[in-house]
Amino acid sequence: MFGYTIGVLLLVIVFGLIYFGLAQRVLDRLYLSDKVALSLLVAMIVGSFINIPLTGGRIISSINVGGALIPLGLAIYVLYRAGTSREVGRALLGSVITAGVLFAINIVTRGKEAWAVYALRLLDPIFYYPLIAGLVAYLVGRSRRAAFVGAILGVILLDIADLIFYVNQGLRGTVAFGGAGIIDVTFMSGVVAVSLAEAIGEARERLQGGPVAEGHSKSLLANLQQPMQKPLPNETEGEEGNDE
Amino acid sequence: MSNFKWSLKYWKGLVFVVLILTIVGVFYQQKNEPRSNRQVFNLTELLQREHTQGDYSILVDEQGNVLDKMARSVYLHDEFIASDNRRYEVVRIEGNKAICHLLGLEKISLIKVNSTVLKETALPVQAGNKAVGIYYSHSDESYVPSDGNESIPGNGGVYDVGTAFANSLEKEGYAVINDTTPHEPHDDGSYRRSRRTAISLLKKGVAAIFDVHRDGVPDPNFYRRNINGQTVATLRFVVGRQNQNMSANLDFAKRLKAAADAKYPGLVRGIFLGQGSYNQDLSPRAVLIEAGTHTNSKENAIKGINLLADVVPAVLGTPGAGGTVRTQSTAADWKGVFLVILAFIVGGAAYLVISAGSWENALSRVRQITSIEWVNLLGWQQQRRPFTKDDKQEIAKKELSDKEFKNNNERADWQKD
Repeated sequence: MFGYTIGVLLLVIVFGLIYFGLAQRVLDRLYLSDKVALSLLVAMIVGSFINIPLTGGRIISSINVGGALIPLGLAIYVLYRAGTSREVGRALLGSVITAGVLFAINIVTRGKEAWAVYALRLLDPIFYYPLIAGLVAYLVGRSRRAAFVGAILGVILLDIADLIFYVNQGLRGTVAFGGAGIIDVTFMSGVVAVSLAEAIGEARERLQGGPVAEGHSKSLLANLQQPMQKPLPNETEGEEGNDE
Repeated sequence: MSNFKWSLKYWKGLVFVVLILTIVGVFYQQKNEPRSNRQVFNLTELLQREHTQGDYSILVDEQGNVLDKMARSVYLHDEFIASDNRRYEVVRIEGNKAICHLLGLEKISLIKVNSTVLKETALPVQAGNKAVGIYYSHSDESYVPSDGNESIPGNGGVYDVGTAFANSLEKEGYAVINDTTPHEPHDDGSYRRSRRTAISLLKKGVAAIFDVHRDGVPDPNFYRRNINGQTVATLRFVVGRQNQNMSANLDFAKRLKAAADAKYPGLVRGIFLGQGSYNQDLSPRAVLIEAGTHTNSKENAIKGINLLADVVPAVLGTPGAGGTVRTQSTAADWKGVFLVILAFIVGGAAYLVISAGSWENALSRVRQITSIEWVNLLGWQQQRRPFTKDDKQEIAKKELSDKEFKNNNERADWQKD
């Protein structure tokens, strides 16, 4: 169609989803209400235009408000609200492994055209980064929220790896955390991670006819309808959870 | 069950440990490589498909005639517009040979690029846009005869070529932003890093962005040509197929080529439509330029790109006051917009059906979105909480006050108006 490849159509589908609502739906999943999610989205779009410089000189670094600061804050908030320490651990482990996998791909592709590596040749790095980050973060994290945290922190860790690389090699360099704002790989990865988690999770549950109850402790099963979460200090009992 | 779980944990742990060890190992190996020649990425020599040295793809037509050579991997369905405007599609790949099928003669119109006509038919869509942006995704790419090495991390020879291009454009009257942010290392993260640079250029309001590269084909004569009485390294435009702006960017590249063909035939080797996005999803006026190859002299590459700068006004229009540029909207732009909307509808519907489980559920969810979600979002949703003691007191109070101020109700009614 129009000379586009199937991959392009697929990408454009992802592109459209991200920019016309998926991001908001994703934020909805992170212990946020509709209103907060929408205002955060607006804040991220506005924040995309704000770069806070961190260092100057040989290595210039900056952090973008919409592309990295707000997503990072969100990730920390999600970790803070997580009900079990196991979930926190999984999310953090997920981010380290995500960064590790992406870093390994970077090393394999060094000195070559980006898509000259087998299995990665189908997609541009801009698109397969979020997919890989999302997939790995979900597989390790096993929940939407852990996937979100894993993907966001994973890409930020990757940027930190760049920073270390420049320091070690004595090279001139620029690290702009989330520099492309809301369409930076950082937030894109978070969005794709949650979507993948949702798609895989829902498909799996549908296939096996409901969540697995056998072999899980009663305390976890009690939270099957509504996940365990730490209440906010001012939160009163009986208030409706945000999760559907 | 518990045995199965235990073994799963064991395997996960093992995979994790192996991964960490691999990363540490690779790091260690890299650190111990000799660094005397400033070549940072020696690891690549162990791996196949080097971009910068030796290994390259050859595009041939069905009769076996060489159409083009380029140091990038070519895939099925990639397309190529040769300097004679014949458009080919890659139909078969044998080793490093890509066999191309002739699709036909590409229409590359000259009428639109004539600057006087452009002024009359110009349909400004980005009024007030200034300038042209230049950046370097592979900031290490260099020219061996002039720079001594094919890769100089952080300070590649392409910087000089792009800067010469910027200076020439400025002479034409454009305001040019030449962004020399480095994007080391030269790996698949380069475009992730340069995406930020491209965005920052677009934020400054540039009308068009050029990503300056050089090729890695070893034969310098393949690129060398005598044009306008001087030896130059010819250029290739690369347009990414994996983004919604493909048709708009291809149109932009075609118009640049047409302008160059009119004045300096042979300057543009061709237009390659390859896998990847090259951050061209960010702008419908983005093109990747390959200025010669690493075995050409940098001076020849500069001469070539300077000739391109000479024909840019025919495409972007004569710059206005302060070097501003107005780009015209083309049919190709609208094709891209249409595609995005179409894909959004298809993708959104698919997502809805998957997450809802069936058509009926999906439809009812759409209804729910239109009826509840927006109301909820805007804060009109009624509070749904159980009756408390306080509520009862509140109601009692209200009833009391209603009685008390019955006489005022009439006044309250007209006050509403």
